[in-house]
Amino acid sequence: MSDIVPELFTDEEKDILQEVMNIAFGQASADLAEVIDIFVILSVPEIHVLKGHQLPGYLCEELQSSGTVNIIEQGFLGKFSGQALLIFPTGAEKELLTLFNQDQELTTLDIDIDILEQETLVEVGNILIGACIGKIAELLSDVVTYDPPRLIAKDYCLEDCQQSPVPAESFAISIRTVFRFDQQNVEGYLFLITNQHSIDWLKKALSTFLESFE
Amino acid sequence: MIFSQIFETINTGLVVLDKEMTVRHWNRWMALHSEISSDEITGKNLFEFFPELDRPHFLRNCRSVLTFGHFCFFSQKLHQYLFPMLPAGSLAEEFQFMQQSCTMGPLRNDHGEIENLYLSVQDVSEVVSYQKKLVHMNQIDHLTGVYNRNFMETQLQKEIERCQRFKHDLSLLMIDIDLFKNINDTYGHQCGDFVLKKITQRITDKIRKTDFLIRYGGDEFCCILTETPTNSAFKVAEQLRQVICSEPFVFKETSFETTISLGVASLNENDVDVESLLRKADTALYKAKQNGRNTVANTTR
Repeated sequence: MSDIVPELFTDEEKDILQEVMNIAFGQASADLAEVIDIFVILSVPEIHVLKGHQLPGYLCEELQSSGTVNIIEQGFLGKFSGQALLIFPTGAEKELLTLFNQDQELTTLDIDIDILEQETLVEVGNILIGACIGKIAELLSDVVTYDPPRLIAKDYCLEDCQQSPVPAESFAISIRTVFRFDQQNVEGYLFLITNQHSIDWLKKALSTFLESFE
Repeated sequence: MIFSQIFETINTGLVVLDKEMTVRHWNRWMALHSEISSDEITGKNLFEFFPELDRPHFLRNCRSVLTFGHFCFFSQKLHQYLFPMLPAGSLAEEFQFMQQSCTMGPLRNDHGEIENLYLSVQDVSEVVSYQKKLVHMNQIDHLTGVYNRNFMETQLQKEIERCQRFKHDLSLLMIDIDLFKNINDTYGHQCGDFVLKKITQRITDKIRKTDFLIRYGGDEFCCILTETPTNSAFKVAEQLRQVICSEPFVFKETSFETTISLGVASLNENDVDVESLLRKADTALYKAKQNGRNTVANTTR
């Protein structure tokens, strides 16, 4: 875990956070396979904590793509609340549509292919975000509700991006994971954007989580 | 007491299902619009009444809500509706079924375990109707009913990209009514409008459903011919020229003849964008005018 915002978490808290994420993503991965009938692997999440204004530069570096991305945003509200951002490179929506529409159920509908791909992206985003956040919340004994997910940026060029998609002073817990569906690599990034209030709660929840093992 | 009253009177459909898809609650909104009463459906499997919901996509969302405790959103854009119901009032003419935006979420017991799920159903027909009207207004020329310039710019861009990717043919016709000003000056603007409408009708009848006719400016039209190489585009242009000049126009018992000039441009490697293709078609049209009007031309012949 990087030290971009070193003062926010102690080393021990970082370790627990990483552990919680590992367990959450492991469970999410297993459950997803059952729920969507598609074998999904979520790579071990890499966690970084950064400030909102650092996000565009960080994303640019991480994704290392001169290409464009699609960003799905979903608000979540619990003791731990904020926004989840799921970022896929442009083109992933085509692969996701193929994967999630193997029974051809959707393509028989009379819908513009662009809308179909977009809506698939949003639906898949909803499931992935729900699975990850749901598991984190469960581990930390929180119950979370969600806003409808929205596609906030389509074919968005990160390099052109001067403005952060989140407030400069907010905290972003970046969880980078690679989603692998069946044999297809679809790389996605999940970011949880949160505030000081939630971070305080998170610190307490992490210590409670640790105590339950002592 | 208060909550059950809200459940029954809220202007939203509410359904509670258990894990086996048995209906546990069915509010009055649902009863009213589905014409299935709560007594009839409560305790029965939802799919007995709505077999079309028994499909992988819906079941996947149910499983995901029960497993992750999150919410699933069935957008109108993708699904149009979950429960086939009649649209209210005048919207019945526009939609066969009420357009719905639906949400599914978990319901937990006292121990925090997910035991049931709920579905909320919102009638969004009116909003969808407005959206359709907005899209229509944004794309269609009010007078003639053909596409407008705004639509053309995005559509032509899409077509060019597609053709470049798949190495397909694409042609463009630029059409201008010869001496249109004279019609307006001689017979009045009402007659001018009449001619614009008639000409678009005659052209629309001649082109394929996959082609796009656009009103580009006052008396200028543009026709996107998909999957069409130069030679065929020339044939189409010639047919259009003939269908206009072959038969006189009759407005309020006055009969007069009108002709059009057409410029043909086809996509090749040199055309990288919308502008260059349009410029080529424009140059061709200018040549057709120079050749004495009522003619077809491209930049080379």
